Amino acid sequence: MRQAWGSRLGVIMAVAGSALGLGNFLRFPVQAAQNGGGAFMIPYFVSLLLLGIPLMWIEWTLGRFGGGFEHSTAPGIFHNAWNKNRFIKYFGVIGIFGPLVIFIYYTYVESWLLAYSFFALSGKYFGAGTEMAMKSFLGGFQGLEKNAYFQNIGTAYFFFLITFILNVSVIFYGIRGGIERLCKFALPMLLIFAVIILLRVISLGTPDPARPEWSIGRGFGFLWNPDFSALGSAKTWLAAAGQIFFSLSVGIGVILTYASYLKKEDDVVLSGLTAVSTNEFAEVILGGSIIIPMAYAFFGPVNIHAIAQSGAFNLSFVTMPLIFEKIPWGALFAFLWFALLFLAGVTSSVSLAQPAVAFLEDEFNLDRRRAAWIFGLAAFVLCQPAIFGLSRGVVDELDFWGGTFCLVLFGTIEAVLFAWILGMDKAWEEIHSGAELRVPAVYKFIIKYITPLFLLAILGFWLVQEGLPTLLMKNVSPANRPVVLAVRLMLLAIFAGLAWSVRMAWRRRRGAEPPEVKP
Amino acid sequence: MTPGGWIFLLLSWGFILGLTVFCFWKVLRKKDDDRNRG
Repeated sequence: MRQAWGSRLGVIMAVAGSALGLGNFLRFPVQAAQNGGGAFMIPYFVSLLLLGIPLMWIEWTLGRFGGGFEHSTAPGIFHNAWNKNRFIKYFGVIGIFGPLVIFIYYTYVESWLLAYSFFALSGKYFGAGTEMAMKSFLGGFQGLEKNAYFQNIGTAYFFFLITFILNVSVIFYGIRGGIERLCKFALPMLLIFAVIILLRVISLGTPDPARPEWSIGRGFGFLWNPDFSALGSAKTWLAAAGQIFFSLSVGIGVILTYASYLKKEDDVVLSGLTAVSTNEFAEVILGGSIIIPMAYAFFGPVNIHAIAQSGAFNLSFVTMPLIFEKIPWGALFAFLWFALLFLAGVTSSVSLAQPAVAFLEDEFNLDRRRAAWIFGLAAFVLCQPAIFGLSRGVVDELDFWGGTFCLVLFGTIEAVLFAWILGMDKAWEEIHSGAELRVPAVYKFIIKYITPLFLLAILGFWLVQEGLPTLLMKNVSPANRPVVLAVRLMLLAIFAGLAWSVRMAWRRRRGAEPPEVKP
Repeated sequence: MTPGGWIFLLLSWGFILGLTVFCFWKVLRKKDDDRNRG
């Protein structure tokens, strides 16, 4: 029997949980601060309305459409959307490949958050009082160096095992008993943790009275004071579109799978919009109010620029622990911070695993538990290069293909397939089946023309700006090039293996169909 | 924070809070309606 969600709130929580991740709390404030402050919100909301919300509706609708044919993953959904076209199912492989690739490095990063939650409570990093010492602590933990804190990668591997087993266990218990139950607990919990930290941030005021200009209020000003000159730069618009795209988890294939467990008469318009609004609440209101104002108040107006440019990992694992060391009850707030990021991570990673598990269930008739076992074993082996090749650029390479390239490409394919192949009239009818809200008619035009063009523009700009230099390994040191090349071969083998599985599944399906009786 | 910063903060927060409250109100109201219908 096909799996199903237990409640409507459950599926909304699961989709919002999938979207909520490190990007909401770490990437958004940095992007906003670097691209015009308050003025960044103009391209941000334009992208939300023209790209994020339409794509969310497209994925929910395509997913529910595919579920009607007993398909929960993109190969089967695309196959039925394009009138049984022979080749389109192979484009759908991206919707299983992308999340699988993200899963194999994301789980490892997620395990660092679990580890740091424990370190916060136990005070393990509390001796590291400078940026250099905290970086050394992180490097030792990741096995990149031997130091007074860590002698090898053993601790990191232990936390990875716990995180990995937790993820596979959730998948093992299925959509209702595993994912829905987890998200109904984890999502409210992480939002409560974020609100507690937000209240603490606001109450900090001016932490050092000797430096009155180093204040939380000025930190908010650093993030929100508008610089309208940034709006004239294509970079700002691209950054806003990219933030919306990556933050909402569209273009991965996960929402397709989640929505496939809905019934034909279930609403997708309001549910999709509710998932978007939850993500935006966490990102703009909570995410925008924690890390940058805190860093400003503790490191000052000069250092904040360098901190903002230091990247998400540095902000999370170096800057934030240093700040928490300086405030009363810092261990508790540090625990809440890392625990909330861990909960955001785990609700995302289980969603990344589900397309591959659903593919095994639907196309090879495996029961859920067996599919979870097979996925667990394969993913465990595939995680190892990410763990042991961290210093050689393996995670960056996996993130490029799984977390960036596949997303934009898959999102573009979905938008074109939905509006142009399925056809806007049929698509509009599908969107409104069971809908509790009427989508404004202008979205018929937006979904057909603006969203695909927007995506093609992002794809083009991104290929020129980032894609080609990365493809040609311009930023990879000569020593790491063989490793990066090996990762690419591994990814090619995974993609080919999945494409071959699709071919086998379709052959099997054809063989199982009763022969046509000729009159 | 400058007045411009305040305007952008309040407009952004207002829009998102409004959207979130509206969506959850609609979702939870429907849930109650379904329960009342038995």
